[in-house]
Amino acid sequence: MKKMFVLSAAVIGTIVLLLVHLQAQQRGQGAPAAGQTGGRGANANEIVVGQLAGRPVIQPVRRGVDYRDAISPTDPAMNGPVPRLPDGHPDLTGPWEGGGSDNDMGVEGGLKEGELDSLLLPAARKLKEERSKAIYGEPYIYCLPMSVPRINPYPWKFVMGYTSKGLQYVYQLHETGDAGAHRVIYMDGRRHPDPATLIASWWGHSVGRWEGDTLVIDTVGYNDKFWFDAPGTPHSEKLHTVERWTRISYGTLVNDFTLEDPDTFSKPVQLRFVARIVKPGVELMEYICAENNQIGLAGGYLGKSDASQIGIGGGPVLKDEKK
Amino acid sequence: MRTHLTVMLTVLGFVGLIAPAAAHHGFETEYDNDKVISASGVVSKIEWTNPHMHVYVDVTDAAGKLTTYNLELTSPNAIQRLGWNKNDLVAGEKVTFKAHAGKVVESRAALDSLVKANAPKQEIFKGQRPEDLGSN
Repeated sequence: MKKMFVLSAAVIGTIVLLLVHLQAQQRGQGAPAAGQTGGRGANANEIVVGQLAGRPVIQPVRRGVDYRDAISPTDPAMNGPVPRLPDGHPDLTGPWEGGGSDNDMGVEGGLKEGELDSLLLPAARKLKEERSKAIYGEPYIYCLPMSVPRINPYPWKFVMGYTSKGLQYVYQLHETGDAGAHRVIYMDGRRHPDPATLIASWWGHSVGRWEGDTLVIDTVGYNDKFWFDAPGTPHSEKLHTVERWTRISYGTLVNDFTLEDPDTFSKPVQLRFVARIVKPGVELMEYICAENNQIGLAGGYLGKSDASQIGIGGGPVLKDEKK
Repeated sequence: MRTHLTVMLTVLGFVGLIAPAAAHHGFETEYDNDKVISASGVVSKIEWTNPHMHVYVDVTDAAGKLTTYNLELTSPNAIQRLGWNKNDLVAGEKVTFKAHAGKVVESRAALDSLVKANAPKQEIFKGQRPEDLGSN
């Protein structure tokens, strides 16, 4: 009887050990151990590019238009040291690709599909549904600014604005999507203006500070015109955002993004976006979007006069056009 | 020599030059993915403009009717980053192109491929880089 018990215990123990081993193997295939980089993330389209605050940083691996000018996430240069400015702060210049929302802010920011929409208040949800059905409703396609946290598939950069007093401004420049505007982040210690006097604007009012190696940007005063992503995730003028930008290696810049908007979302939303450094030699180029925007004309949605009314070029209408 | 027009309605997978814009500008809203125009003609104008490049090609059909096709590409920046410049295609050159027709204005089309008559195997303004092929 005793022998039977020992034998059973041994068999059960072996099975348990085998299961634990198999589970560990499966975990190993899915996610690298802490500190390991270059491994695949939870799915084949993700790669672990480093660690931040003890958590792995996942880089989505996209093809085509996204990250087309960035170095490969498996390039050894990705894991090189963080370049430093003369004052010791990390150099966040870039240029970068990615690091923000574009086609689906929630999913791109690390939430499950539909999770962000579940946080929308009823009126905001209705607005998003209307926007999703609209043809050419998105301000961005009329060459208006895309604003925060949107990053389209073109290079962008931070410009560290030093004066005799040190770092006084950080400018964020996008090759496209900023409509020629520059976003200024005040680094001189000033506060936001009195909300009662602040005029809502596309880029809002941004103040920045260093927390260790992290650039923290606090922004209020946004208008409610821009869309967070192509399907039209909305916000109100009560939007308040906090971006925490941390360069964790030569190739990776993390944007931990918090948005609060009590008129739109039932609670604050926490997202993480990851930007990748561009290849050597890639610089921002001129991009004057309104120059020759012919959006809508081939599909018959906008005529030249319609286009002119909303302030875009509309492009030439040819006398020999074939319909 | 009279240029020759052939219009084919073909079902093709979309791999057009306008792809980078599709995410924002709704390719399928504006262009017919299933209606591919194939034609030969003479380049009348090239616009290296934002947000997108346009190549205009004059095509004369068998009856002598001239149609100017307005072919939309991606941004001039993206084309330049592929290594192309303004000398690679100029007005007056004879070309053959394939393009997805505009849903309402057929001659406003999204360019899929374009070759010169004297170099029919070399697609102009196209390039494949390793990351586009999925190596990363």
